[in-house]
Amino acid sequence: MAAERQSTLRQRLFAILVAGIGATAASAASFAMAVYDAANPEPIAAIDAGVQIDTGKWNVMLREAYLSPAPPTGIQPPTPTTFLTVEFDLENRSAASAYASTKLFTLDPPVEALPDFYLERDLWVAGPLNPGMRERMIATWELPAGQTPPHELSVMVGSQIYKRRDNLYGASGWFDREPAARVTLPVAARNESIAP
Amino acid sequence: MTTIEASPRGRRAYWLSLAVLVVALPAAMYVHSDGGVVDLIQETQAPLEVQRGEAQTYSGAEWRLTALTRLPGELPETEFVLAEFEAAVSDPAQFQAAMPCQVRLTDGEGRRWAPAFLVERVIRAARPDVSEKPRCLNFAEARTGDTIAMAESFVVPKEAKDLTLSLSLKGEQPESLLFD
Amino acid sequence: MTGAIRTIVAVLAAAAALYAMQRTTPVYSEITSPVRTNGQQGKRVETRNFAIGIAKVHLARSIDAPKSGRPHSYTTSGVWVIVEAAVQATNESLSLTAAEWLGPDGTRYSMSQRLSTLPGTPGTEQLEPGVPRPMLMIFEVPESQLSGATLLVSQSAYTPLSEEAAVAMTEVQTDDIRPVITIKRGGGTLPWVLEAE
Repeated sequence: MAAERQSTLRQRLFAILVAGIGATAASAASFAMAVYDAANPEPIAAIDAGVQIDTGKWNVMLREAYLSPAPPTGIQPPTPTTFLTVEFDLENRSAASAYASTKLFTLDPPVEALPDFYLERDLWVAGPLNPGMRERMIATWELPAGQTPPHELSVMVGSQIYKRRDNLYGASGWFDREPAARVTLPVAARNESIAP
Repeated sequence: MTTIEASPRGRRAYWLSLAVLVVALPAAMYVHSDGGVVDLIQETQAPLEVQRGEAQTYSGAEWRLTALTRLPGELPETEFVLAEFEAAVSDPAQFQAAMPCQVRLTDGEGRRWAPAFLVERVIRAARPDVSEKPRCLNFAEARTGDTIAMAESFVVPKEAKDLTLSLSLKGEQPESLLFD
Repeated sequence: MTGAIRTIVAVLAAAAALYAMQRTTPVYSEITSPVRTNGQQGKRVETRNFAIGIAKVHLARSIDAPKSGRPHSYTTSGVWVIVEAAVQATNESLSLTAAEWLGPDGTRYSMSQRLSTLPGTPGTEQLEPGVPRPMLMIFEVPESQLSGATLLVSQSAYTPLSEEAAVAMTEVQTDDIRPVITIKRGGGTLPWVLEAE
């Protein structure tokens, strides 16, 4: 009886040791990989305008960028404002209607304001985009007074990943990830009064 | 299992833990409900019934239903119900803290109507005096001794019978007044 | 020897049970998903809080309707689905604000926000118990999603465990797609008027 008990104890000790070493090795390897990935980021693909980018939730194709004195609705703001405008095609790849995210594009040079999205069909503020129904969209950024409009715009297109269960609630959803591509666009002036 | 069977102390602890669960589980549910259990109990409380025309002290004021008028509705087979009531303020602080009030019209079958919106035009045409009265939302200016006349309007089907007005203010006991 | 076998079997059984539980755990959106009441087009569907009946479904390539006061032609790459329904609150005043076209392949198309300000569309009025009201729901869907779809109507798209009517759209005339349907503001009991070309 006593001998059996002793051997069980030794076995347990051994099992705990093995499990401990295994867990330590796994977390060390995971940490090392994370550090390595952070130190060696994958270069972001430079993609031409007019080429479709699969970002996960969306198919995006940037077309052109220009400066405009008014938003696409044509409603002139009370004070003279410059709208940095980007036209693009957007297709919802997910299984439900969804609004375009304001985090879809990151601009360089940076603009503080969040973009407004317009639907080209209506020249009106865009609602949710339906799955599989490609739409021509217009994004505008209101440039703050005094900011010199850029000649060239670099647009980082964000990517998204679908998680069936997120880490917090176990809810399904799309989550933003690192940029999928970088597109450089020349910035034209649509109105003669505004020079880039 | 072996340890429980082995020592009487372990067995006692086991049964004690089970007994504690009887108290601990409801306590945990109560705490996690975040006031929901209290609300549930309050909802089951009977409202305070008040006869038509009589006043009742409730939440820093004397409440009185002055009129419950049925008018022809805009839609076929419907009627407008105008509920006019007043509050004589005795404790302005308590009165204001409980605003806005939740007013519902209830019929004999237990159906409940919320105040209708976008009906000002109709009321102005039918009863201009009532359209002047404010809704029971916010009376920041209320002073002790003020009597505030209010009105709410409802859209109900013609067949609705035995209408009563219920008035509920935040955080008050009982949950609501019921004007017959 | 039998002890070892028994241990192995127990471990395998536990692993299988854990795996099965992990696979079948409902996700958050399933736990909080609306409480569905199933029904069929042309029949009255009663949930606990409201009743709905689908009267007519019209299909169009384009919709003419006012846009901030001026006439506008709403085009689409798919087909416009215009659903005329009758709705009624059961016991308490409420608003129906969410409608979805659930395609035969499970894709969800929300009610079009492009025409959401038209009179009679979900969210524009409060429904009263005992007072049936007409409701207009407009969707924009690809042609392949027309037949075999389900219409989902609920008080809110975001409230957990809200009541939802799921109406099987069995009688959609997919061969009758009008080029243009004009939606005008109606008078009297019907808040809108449809005119097909």
